[in-house]
Amino acid sequence: MATRSGFEKHYPEVFEKFEFVTVFDLLIKYIKEGRIKLDKTRFKGPATYHDPCNYGRKAQKVFGHGYFDEPRWILSQCVENWIDLYPATMNQICCGGGGGTLVNSYNEERTYYGRRKMDQIRATGAGMLVVPCHSCHGQFNSIKKAYDMEGLEVKYLWELVADCMIV
Amino acid sequence: MTAKDIIHMNELDHSRFKSWGFSQDFCVTCGLCSSSCPATGIDGFDPRKLIRMLSLGLESEVVASRWPWICTLCAKCENVCPMEIDIADAVRRVRSLRDRDKVPGNIHKGLEAALETGNNLRLPKDDYVFILEDVAEEIAEEPGYEGFTVPIDKKGANILTTIHNKLVNTHTEDLKHWWRIFHAAKEDWTVPSENWEGTNWAYFTGDDEAMKIMTGRIVDHMNKLEVKTLMWPE
Repeated sequence: MATRSGFEKHYPEVFEKFEFVTVFDLLIKYIKEGRIKLDKTRFKGPATYHDPCNYGRKAQKVFGHGYFDEPRWILSQCVENWIDLYPATMNQICCGGGGGTLVNSYNEERTYYGRRKMDQIRATGAGMLVVPCHSCHGQFNSIKKAYDMEGLEVKYLWELVADCMIV
Repeated sequence: MTAKDIIHMNELDHSRFKSWGFSQDFCVTCGLCSSSCPATGIDGFDPRKLIRMLSLGLESEVVASRWPWICTLCAKCENVCPMEIDIADAVRRVRSLRDRDKVPGNIHKGLEAALETGNNLRLPKDDYVFILEDVAEEIAEEPGYEGFTVPIDKKGANILTTIHNKLVNTHTEDLKHWWRIFHAAKEDWTVPSENWEGTNWAYFTGDDEAMKIMTGRIVDHMNKLEVKTLMWPE
């Protein structure tokens, strides 16, 4: 988000010269081209998926495309049994770790902020939460104990892909 | 703000933020933003109040307030705003008005470190390269990944990646996921030896000049290493 916004504002010429790929498009390319093979039986689920603000709602507004379908397709290649949070996509609830709050020392506020998200996750009964964002990942691991959800496994989307690869 | 901090009408300055292009003066005080915001109520914060303070020109109050830093810039508020006010960008702009030494926590300190040393941790190049090579050796010991090495500063590579600082700090295991995928997909990729920082905390502190410097470094890498593609920092 920050890098792409910075390029669009300050270095628009790079879009003529180079190609750019998101983590989602790259994973989809590898899977569709058969460059990586995935085993769907390793994780039984149920899993769930959290839409990061920057890849979803904010990308939709700023760049005209929110990454909602792509991560869900990738997740479906890795796990059969997964459940969406409600609400999700454009109406998703922030994890509470965005905007620098993980490193601005407002830890009590940040933990409280996450309460609605944790309720959503609990409601799915999922044991694994898949996220494609370092801030969300850090936030969930930081606050899950405060919500008696220490058993929740928080996994990067690309970590799940790597763990499902047949090599 | 508490009752004893009552603001008098003659202290209001409706023109103070007129030049800001976030449509903040269009606010109809409907409260949808406040209802949708997960941070509403924390320390008296809600987005409607903050936007009203901008319209009323209460500069010193809004800049000194903790509210802009409680907000996560998630944009749920503006998604429901009937007047299409750019609330998250307005909050970020308010953050930019804080004296840099009063920016809370480590966000400005980390950014300062990145501007001075190329990464938020002030991690020296030798230590950084040692960590990357050490993790690569661990991967190479796994079945199916024999011969794995980390291609640092590889000229002409297809894909350039950056590194989130926590992955060479407390979370080195998390370096391995993408590296395993690249190996399996037979990708031609690289990672820079200097100025490798993938985060851009200037986005959080509202510092546009620093944001330009940080993103410019990635442009320099693409040019110098003659890569074809940038993988946007995760």
